[in-house]
Amino acid sequence: MHIHSRKDWELPDSAATPEKHFRNRRAFLKSLGMGIAGAAFAGRVSAATRGFPTTRNPNFNDTSLRLTPEDFVTSYNNFYEFGTDKAEPKIYANQGWETEPWSIEITGLARNRTRIDVNDLIDRVGGIEQRVYRHRCVEAWSMVVPWDGFALRKLVELADPTEDARYVRFVTFNDPDSAIGQARGNLPYPYVEGLRLDEATNELAFIATGVYGKPMPNQNGAPLRLVVPWKYGFKGIKSIVQVDFVATQPRNTWQIMASNEYGFYANVNPNVAHPRWSQASERIIGEGSFFNPGRKPTLMFNGYESQVASLYEGLDLRRNY
Amino acid sequence: MANADAPFPVRVLRSKAFVLPLIVVFGLWPVWPLFVRQDPSALADPPKFVLLHLGFTACVLLATVLCFSPLRILFPGSGAALALNRHRRLVGVSAFIYGVLHFTMHLLYEGGFGVLATDITTPFMVIGMATLAILTALAATSSNLAIRLMGGRNWKRLHRLAYVAAGLAAWHQAEARKLFPMQVVWIFGPVALLQAARVWRNLSRRKSGA
Repeated sequence: MHIHSRKDWELPDSAATPEKHFRNRRAFLKSLGMGIAGAAFAGRVSAATRGFPTTRNPNFNDTSLRLTPEDFVTSYNNFYEFGTDKAEPKIYANQGWETEPWSIEITGLARNRTRIDVNDLIDRVGGIEQRVYRHRCVEAWSMVVPWDGFALRKLVELADPTEDARYVRFVTFNDPDSAIGQARGNLPYPYVEGLRLDEATNELAFIATGVYGKPMPNQNGAPLRLVVPWKYGFKGIKSIVQVDFVATQPRNTWQIMASNEYGFYANVNPNVAHPRWSQASERIIGEGSFFNPGRKPTLMFNGYESQVASLYEGLDLRRNY
Repeated sequence: MANADAPFPVRVLRSKAFVLPLIVVFGLWPVWPLFVRQDPSALADPPKFVLLHLGFTACVLLATVLCFSPLRILFPGSGAALALNRHRRLVGVSAFIYGVLHFTMHLLYEGGFGVLATDITTPFMVIGMATLAILTALAATSSNLAIRLMGGRNWKRLHRLAYVAAGLAAWHQAEARKLFPMQVVWIFGPVALLQAARVWRNLSRRKSGA
């Protein structure tokens, strides 16, 4: 069988940016930025504005879940590139760090290795939608978040991995001049995460370009981040610049830091404790008070067992944490 | 001892009316982000915020009180060092009280005593509780009466455990976050340095005396 492998410069018609987007709002604002009136706004325009407003996908909208207030979602952040304190990313990620323009690179064992602008990518994958997902941090707290974005599977299809590709490796930006945590060197940067290819093409795996119907705030990982709701939050790598298709299991950043505490899979599992704390229950952010624990039992695979359990048949989850 | 003509800063440092409110305000600091500023990153999980702050306060006070006596020995002529040594009991007992509040907050946060069953299986929690156990013994024997009943030597020997407590507290604090928190170094670093200076001085004295 003849397989036509596309050259880097051979873009399909769908890749061409429609004219209406060509002269989009941001270009207009940017030109304003040159003038006096726009100067104050120019730095505040965030990337990946394409596709809004979104509509919620009814297949990913468990109405029994109560959304975590937006203020908490955008103010209580683990984004160590901008400091290890929960309050720091909101401050330090908004002091001149540029997320526009932003492009990602598709590399490795893929037929369509290319560099693509995030807004163009959103057009290529057919726009964005909203999904309501549970979010469980490895620190035993949880949120319910309405993410805007597209299925990771669409990005994988666009990249067209070869038969040798078995894992996807994601890499974050590396810019110590803009990111105080990277300058402090609190983790080995750039941050790296990975998924098995069959995990990446699971219907739940999601690339978010926004939250609460708005473009992704910098502190939540602008302009695009991974969301894998059946795994602990640290798997959700933020501000992705590279999607690399590889044959062997990549080492993710937290595994490099402390392999006895954090593994490659990081599936939410109430039965396997972290060496320093239990994972059996979780604190619900925004609920509970000093005398009301606001806790609930943690669910296997964070409540997504029916969608993902088949991925791990025969795998010892106690050893592959 | 009570010299009324001491310089003003030293007189301030000597007074309980200055030190006690300082300790209380330090512990009450979460009121500012939680109730005055209403900072959403603190309000997202207020008990956790308070829990961490109470533990932090206990660590700072424990490290502070252990600096007092080496300061007095290293700087014998200093009025400030003497003034600080008047507050050893106050600051030490305060560290214990914040430790108790921290532990109580932990129980509230985790939803009751049931959590102790899993706590005893993790070194991180066991170390924290061992620290508190030592501080409890020291606070219980902090009165003048206890010193008289135990005898000075025994009392002194028991209260050397404060250094063990500091080591355990530093360890517990270092384990409390996903990454090693640098605050452990600046909280407990000065104690370690002052103790090292004291030991070094004692050794070099012994040498020159021989």
